[in-house]
Amino acid sequence: MASSREGAPSATHGGHWIHSAYDPRKEAGSWAEQQISEWKIGELGVVLGVGLLYHVEALVRIKPPESRLAVVVPDVSVLKDALGARPLESWIDEIQWITGTPSEVAEQLASQSAPLRFFTYGAAARLHAEAHQQLETSLRRIIARKAGGQLHVAVVGPIYGGSLPIARYVVRALGELGHRVTWIDHSVHHASYEAFGSFREERYRLTVQSRFADVLSFSTIAKIAEDPPDLVLAIAQAPLTLAVLQHLRKKKFTTAMWFVENYRHLTYWQQLAGGYDYWFVIQQAACIEALKRAGATQVQYLPMAADPAVHHPVTLTAEEQQDYGADVSFVGAGYDNRRSLLPRWLSKEWTFKLWGNEWDGATDLSCILQRHGARIDTDTCVKVFNATAVNLNLHSASGTGLDAHPDFVNPRTLELAACGAFQLVDERTLLPALFSSDEMVCFRSADEVPSLIRTWLKDPHGRCAHAEAARRRVLREHTYRHRMQDLLAAVGMQQPDRIGSILRGERSATELQRRTDTAPELAPLLSRFPSGQRVELKDLAADIRARAPGRELSREELLVLMLDSYRAETRDLV
Amino acid sequence: MRRALVIQLARLGDLVQTIPAITALNESHADWEIDLLCPAQLAELGRLLPGVSDVVSWDGAAWHRRAARAEAEVRPEHIAEAETELRAMTDTLYDQAFVLNQHPRAIMAGALLARENIGAITGGPLDQTLSPWAMYVRNVATGKQDNRIHLADAFCGMCGMSPPKRTISIQVPETTLPTDLDPIGQSDGPWIAVLIGAGDPERLVPIAAWERMITECLEGLPASRIVLVGDQHEQERAQCIQESLPPSLLGRVWDTAGRLSLIQLAGLLTRCRIVIGADTGPLHLAAAVGTRVIGWYFARARVHDTGPYGSNHWVWQVERGERERMAVIQPSRWPIAETVALLRGHSPVTVTEWSLWESHRDHWGAYYAEAGHEPVEPIQRAQVWRQLQPSSVS
Repeated sequence: MASSREGAPSATHGGHWIHSAYDPRKEAGSWAEQQISEWKIGELGVVLGVGLLYHVEALVRIKPPESRLAVVVPDVSVLKDALGARPLESWIDEIQWITGTPSEVAEQLASQSAPLRFFTYGAAARLHAEAHQQLETSLRRIIARKAGGQLHVAVVGPIYGGSLPIARYVVRALGELGHRVTWIDHSVHHASYEAFGSFREERYRLTVQSRFADVLSFSTIAKIAEDPPDLVLAIAQAPLTLAVLQHLRKKKFTTAMWFVENYRHLTYWQQLAGGYDYWFVIQQAACIEALKRAGATQVQYLPMAADPAVHHPVTLTAEEQQDYGADVSFVGAGYDNRRSLLPRWLSKEWTFKLWGNEWDGATDLSCILQRHGARIDTDTCVKVFNATAVNLNLHSASGTGLDAHPDFVNPRTLELAACGAFQLVDERTLLPALFSSDEMVCFRSADEVPSLIRTWLKDPHGRCAHAEAARRRVLREHTYRHRMQDLLAAVGMQQPDRIGSILRGERSATELQRRTDTAPELAPLLSRFPSGQRVELKDLAADIRARAPGRELSREELLVLMLDSYRAETRDLV
Repeated sequence: MRRALVIQLARLGDLVQTIPAITALNESHADWEIDLLCPAQLAELGRLLPGVSDVVSWDGAAWHRRAARAEAEVRPEHIAEAETELRAMTDTLYDQAFVLNQHPRAIMAGALLARENIGAITGGPLDQTLSPWAMYVRNVATGKQDNRIHLADAFCGMCGMSPPKRTISIQVPETTLPTDLDPIGQSDGPWIAVLIGAGDPERLVPIAAWERMITECLEGLPASRIVLVGDQHEQERAQCIQESLPPSLLGRVWDTAGRLSLIQLAGLLTRCRIVIGADTGPLHLAAAVGTRVIGWYFARARVHDTGPYGSNHWVWQVERGERERMAVIQPSRWPIAETVALLRGHSPVTVTEWSLWESHRDHWGAYYAEAGHEPVEPIQRAQVWRQLQPSSVS
């Protein structure tokens, strides 16, 4: 506790002021003014960050009388301090205090009937960042489970590369969840992109390919304009330029990027950080901080997943087992660290097969390289995983050893698990949150690997137990459906009045009809839609237009059409 | 008394060019009450248009906000709110609306505010069939048709009227300008207004061209004064022009950019002897308040479509080939010395890339004839009127 210049009590933590050192009330008032415009009628405001409650008091003083406000209290002793330092006035009575563990708080918040609008008072919230992170994750899960509404999501994929199959998995997952998906598949342009790469002069190649990417970016806009989605979800390497992203924002489109890349290796996120409304990344702390420093406002962790429709156990014929099987296998491209480490794991004690491309010049591995280093398709991968006793999973890195920053978990980890295949994977800091030691066996150094192979080759029951447990975990928690539920719930939490409202099913014909007291004439228009179907302004207008020939339009229909003409103009992207 | 509503939701230039249609309606229906629906930001000027009983202002920004809310979540109260706003505009429906824009919102406004609609379309509000005059205007605008009918007269046609017998200027009430600008037009001149900007960037005359025009004008007409006219976005252009002028001339240049309301602008234009500029709203406003105009028409602007309405205006038209009918033509030189010669009262001269046209008026409305030639009425106008509106011929 410390006194501010103006005389009111303030507070510091770790050398940082939690409230202004000069005038805490004035500062809190400015903060509250900034928040209030976002707060829609009917939403429950939820404050994260307790401090000395100046900011809460400021919000109470300017909020509309009918709006309710809750404060999350991760540590009751902080609240006691605050109430001891500040005079208790009547505004305190308007607060709903929410206490408990993060998951208990999440349950309490999720049980509220109103949409939630979060207000984070950063300086105070920082003290309980971990609890807030857990709260958000728990709440996201609960909301994801409850979500019943249908969104329209445009998924923008890359021209080629490792994120292309992930884009396809995402499209399938969203469809399976009942959302309408527009798949903007740029892989159809891959041949042209490659053709433009044939210039000898690098400068020409880069310029032409960059311009081509610009054209694809604009074609994305045209596609979005033809059928405007609620959310534009780009997968890493999607050809969307900053200018196009800014244009989308200006036209009120919500955009998100699932950056399924190692942010340390591919750094184009630095140019695009401020362009997307939401970033989802496969790494934590440092990555999230870096993106925020580069201009991203919302960054959240969303690990990789597996698609059980693609990666699953298969029964192999004896011939397939012969072709694809081995004691030990590795499937992947020839990155530096793999070229250096794999030869150390060859042994006369076991058979070893190496699958994948970009192994040119790796002479000490040529004896185990399959199909002369050709790229292998997903079906073949699945067969290899299933036919192998011990699958090696070594995260790529540019050095000669294990990844120096072993944080994110690669898709291969989850794909092998989804196949019910046993694997030895290099240890990752983010792996324990995804799999327990009963489900996944890790190695901490290259030297451990031969002994681990030896051990597990001798223990088929142990391999089977781990592999089956890992597969169950994937099906329970780590499919693309789970990830998409999480992603949409996260966006919905930030936009309770838009995406959140749709996810809650509040745009259905039934729900709208329930609210036609103010304009009963609208009821006949709504009654034309099946009760559970989502109804938007553009749907009403389209229905009116379809039925217009040969009859006189009602006044309400004309008003809907008038509003829709303005909507169409605002959203006219091209 | 029958109540009619003329709907003009486009920009300043179109609003001013609606005056002949309103005049024609008044001439034909002296007992009608004729109101005008126009954008809220032009309503103040709309009230000055001759023959208008009342102005209903259309708040497009409010509709945009309402549409954004309805898009985020369509709620019955959005419809109720829109209805309340329309009721506030008029308690009872108009007997007739004359819809002069082909935009859905103008057509929808007509359907919501009046029992009967004529103008842009022939059927119901969702009917895509354009009226003959609207189709004609669209064909002209898209370059499918050669044209000698002025847009303002085509508006008359869209209202089922022939062009009015007479042109009536806007009577601008006494307005006070900012004190430092008040001497404009109060002393010997001539005072010459230069419209330095344009809403459409392709219609912007380069700063260097204006700088030369102003310099030559002030040097060639020793008593002249120049008034720079533009909106707030054009203040920087005005500043650049002044900075590039010889210091000895600066005392004769008056900068009004970004400082006047529409009514003040109209008042200012009446104080000037002549107004020079590209095809812009203020140029048409100048013609409408009765000030002589010299237009520089380039880019997509065409004198026969939208030359300043009335008599005795001049337009320099950049020449275009048959294939360039819709092209954006940017001239390589500007008719500076020739414009100054006109200001000095010299006879029109020819100049490469440009032709000079002078406005006239007759039974079929306004037309432009090449300057220095005997004004010959273009015969195709009668044919078009006969074809599109046989009643006008009888």
